[in-house]
Amino acid sequence: MLLQLNNIFKWVQQGGERVFLLKDINLDVSEGEFISIMGPSGSGKSTLLNVLGMLDGFNEGSYTFMQEPVHSLKEKHRSELYKRYIGFVFQAYHLIDELTVYENLEMPLLYKKVKSGERKALVADMLDRFHIVGKKDLFPSQLSGGQQQLVGVARALIGNPKLLLADEPTGNLNSQQGEEIMELFQQLNNEGVTIIQVTHSEKNAAYGSRTIHLLDGRKISG
Amino acid sequence: MFRNHIKIAYRNLLKNKSFSILNITGLSVGLCVTTLIALWINFELGFDGFHENEKNLYQVNNQYEVEGEIDTWNSTPKVMATVLKADYPEISRVSRYFFETPFLFTKNEKRIKATGTAVDADFLSMFRFPLIEGNVKTALSEVNTVVLTEKLAKTLFGEKDAIGQTLTIDNSELLTVSGVLKNLPDNTMFNFEYLLPWSYLEQKGWNDDNWSNNSIVTYVQLKDGTNFGAFSEKLASLRERYDRSSPDIHTFLYPFGRIHLHGKFENGREAGGRIDTIRLFGIIAGILLLIACINFMNLSTAQSEKRAREVGVRKVVGAKKGTLIAQFMGESIFIATISAVIASGLVWAGLPYFNELVGRPLSLLTLPPAFWWGAAGTVVLTGILAGSYPAMYLSAFRPSAVLKGHFKKKSKNDVSPRSVLVIFQFGMAIILITATVIVQQQIKKAQTRNSGYSKNNLLYTHMEGDMEQHYTLIKDELLRSGAAISVTKTNAPIIESQSNTWGMLWDGKAQDDHTIVHRMMADEAIIRTMGLELMEGRDFDLREYPSDSSAAIINQSAARLMGFEDPIGKTINDRNRDWHVIGLVKDFVLDSPYQKIEPLVIQGADGWFDVINMKLNTDRSTRENLTMIEVILKKYNPEYPFQYQFVDRAYAQKFEDQQRIGKIASAFTLLTVLISCLGLFGLASYMAENRTKEIGIRKVLGATVGNITTLLTTQFMKLVAISFVIGAPISWYFMSNWLEGFAYRVTIAWWVFPLSGILAMGIAMVTISFQAIKAAVADPTNSLKTE
Repeated sequence: MLLQLNNIFKWVQQGGERVFLLKDINLDVSEGEFISIMGPSGSGKSTLLNVLGMLDGFNEGSYTFMQEPVHSLKEKHRSELYKRYIGFVFQAYHLIDELTVYENLEMPLLYKKVKSGERKALVADMLDRFHIVGKKDLFPSQLSGGQQQLVGVARALIGNPKLLLADEPTGNLNSQQGEEIMELFQQLNNEGVTIIQVTHSEKNAAYGSRTIHLLDGRKISG
Repeated sequence: MFRNHIKIAYRNLLKNKSFSILNITGLSVGLCVTTLIALWINFELGFDGFHENEKNLYQVNNQYEVEGEIDTWNSTPKVMATVLKADYPEISRVSRYFFETPFLFTKNEKRIKATGTAVDADFLSMFRFPLIEGNVKTALSEVNTVVLTEKLAKTLFGEKDAIGQTLTIDNSELLTVSGVLKNLPDNTMFNFEYLLPWSYLEQKGWNDDNWSNNSIVTYVQLKDGTNFGAFSEKLASLRERYDRSSPDIHTFLYPFGRIHLHGKFENGREAGGRIDTIRLFGIIAGILLLIACINFMNLSTAQSEKRAREVGVRKVVGAKKGTLIAQFMGESIFIATISAVIASGLVWAGLPYFNELVGRPLSLLTLPPAFWWGAAGTVVLTGILAGSYPAMYLSAFRPSAVLKGHFKKKSKNDVSPRSVLVIFQFGMAIILITATVIVQQQIKKAQTRNSGYSKNNLLYTHMEGDMEQHYTLIKDELLRSGAAISVTKTNAPIIESQSNTWGMLWDGKAQDDHTIVHRMMADEAIIRTMGLELMEGRDFDLREYPSDSSAAIINQSAARLMGFEDPIGKTINDRNRDWHVIGLVKDFVLDSPYQKIEPLVIQGADGWFDVINMKLNTDRSTRENLTMIEVILKKYNPEYPFQYQFVDRAYAQKFEDQQRIGKIASAFTLLTVLISCLGLFGLASYMAENRTKEIGIRKVLGATVGNITTLLTTQFMKLVAISFVIGAPISWYFMSNWLEGFAYRVTIAWWVFPLSGILAMGIAMVTISFQAIKAAVADPTNSLKTE
């Protein structure tokens, strides 16, 4: 078992009333799974992903990640945990515009204090693996959306995470680029990376091994 | 990691060029001004700080209570030095310091006018003015010797060894050079090119042991470990024992090291002095730098949306808050460093102008290393200060909030901290604008004050060499030649009062009346030459009335003091002589055009004279007149060069100090306004950018360009209005205080405040409206599409 959510509730206070973002979510994720989260806008998909990624807290329930009780961990420990084991991929790529492809890939390693030589090797590996060696000195604005997302995925993977969280990774891409990214995800999954993605598209969801449907913060299937 | 941060900082700078330029310009100007002011402060603080004995050196000061006010002055009787040395074993050395006097030095064909003075033999052991040649102990102990500065020695003797050579002083005595001094540094209050032994004065008959003639300065050096308190008590009885005419004068020692910065006394206590000006400008420079830092904070946080995503990403991939703080601090230190480089260039280029402004020969070359360390520290501190708020603000973003897509702030105006900063900036600007206006008004007021005499075409020259001896001939010839229409000799130029006393007597004077009365001496036609306004009686006229040599003309203040309803014919006793009053003149400015006019008695020809005053003939050109005067003076006094001063120019110099303060205040005001505007411009552009969508919607719904511009500017105008409410009373308080220092002063006009408020508003309005109009005229369809 990689992670387990038990009776997770998350709400915000609005005009004296509680508005529930997540209601009683229970979820078990095993290593090697490829899960898609689906649901209409405002159903809580992104919130759930943020909770899973420990970027957001929750109000009630328990969350166990690799035997660690996330709900009772201090902020500092929690961030250490996600920084070490979780990679994030965003709909808007979120590359740093002022850094080149190479530098974007290198950044997480800098924060992990990886030695220069090893850093070079890891970045070179990643460039090679994603066939973007030729682009390494370009800035994000010089790349197509699909290429940017490729870099985004590469950056998420460079720290060798156990879990890859992707929030609508193809949302800003055309269908062909989207397909490429999904094929990449499938391949990564085959290599053993656990993936949870939020998606609107049935087609993308089909790449996964399991689909969870949300409605108004409640899990209705999966 | 560091390289990564530098890269980001550098690329961000390039990407947001306008913001970078605003920031760097502001910080550069701030740092430049701070450096210049620091240079100046460093100079003033180091004034006379090079004397090794400084902590044991004192100036002998006196205090006396006149009408409830304690008067403090630093001149002493000449004989006091002898008594101090004899009676007080705590004193290791004493030296008198005569007036700084210009004398003519002659060596063969060379004639040089040089200023210097006479001192006691210990002077060179007490103060550190090193001799290049000669012996410190003996250089000033022989009669008929003189010590010259290197510069004067070179002018007189060329490259030849000066020591042992002879020269003629004042066209009369032959002296031997007994020492050559290193040229005096710029930062000393002493001003001499030569030093004579005190025996020179004795020889000339200028020494006296009169206790009531307080005319020279006395310095003493106490022995190490002397108990100052106990010594002061012992000293208190000095006058009682020796000074029969005024035994109640309190004599005390004033630390030499405090003279330059603190040596201004009011009612017996130290009352600031130069230190006030230094503090004030130091504070203003600091504030200017702070304002530049505030700009940086404002612009950086305003830009935070652009950086928010970066923060989010960095956090998600592993950055800790501390690392991010370090990154943003690093960036601002980086920008501060760039600004420092530019500021260095500005300082280098601007130093000559600044020197002119403060009237000091400041230099970058002679600074101690500590100054540079301080400068580097200031740059880093500036970076940290400027970066602190943005760093905290930016690094606190939660990734889940900023990465979700559109990062929106809680309120669209995001008022509080940034508004406070704008208020602070504009408050300062308003205070400074008000101050500048009032300073200028005050200077104007004093400048246009009726001096009470006619300064035009009035010229004076000091009597030297044979001039006094041939005075009557010179005068006759001057008048006959038509160069001058009136000639009068006086004891001092009219622009200053050099002599005063509380010892004058008149009928009905109260026993305990110690009011100071100024004295002037003149032979003839003083009213005509100076253009004084005669109220009653007549001018001095020795031809018609030979007894006018013991006559007096008094001013209105004197008549009031002495209670003379009808002053003509009254008698005043001074210098053991009776003076009969023959004229009453309207009050005229004696010394400072800023102060009230004090009582004055102009005494007739029985006196000592130093100056010849001439009213030029306006029928001829000044050049013609001057040539003629020179010919006449050369004829009777061939050894001396003709040197003269025009009274109007000399009078104008009285305003130099205040004009300097006025100029510095104006410069500060200008810079403060400039930097504040840079900041406001940046904020306005950010705001316009931030509200594009809102503006688009409003326009689609029918708002006009005017509506939108008003909407965007009012927000800032409110801030400027608040600045005014805070700034106006503060400036009123400070400027009232400043004006207190002048007896003759402007009253602060009420309109000064609205004026500065409106001015600040106007400047702010111009700055903002550019951005506001640009945003208002933009096509709404574009802005709505891009959102």
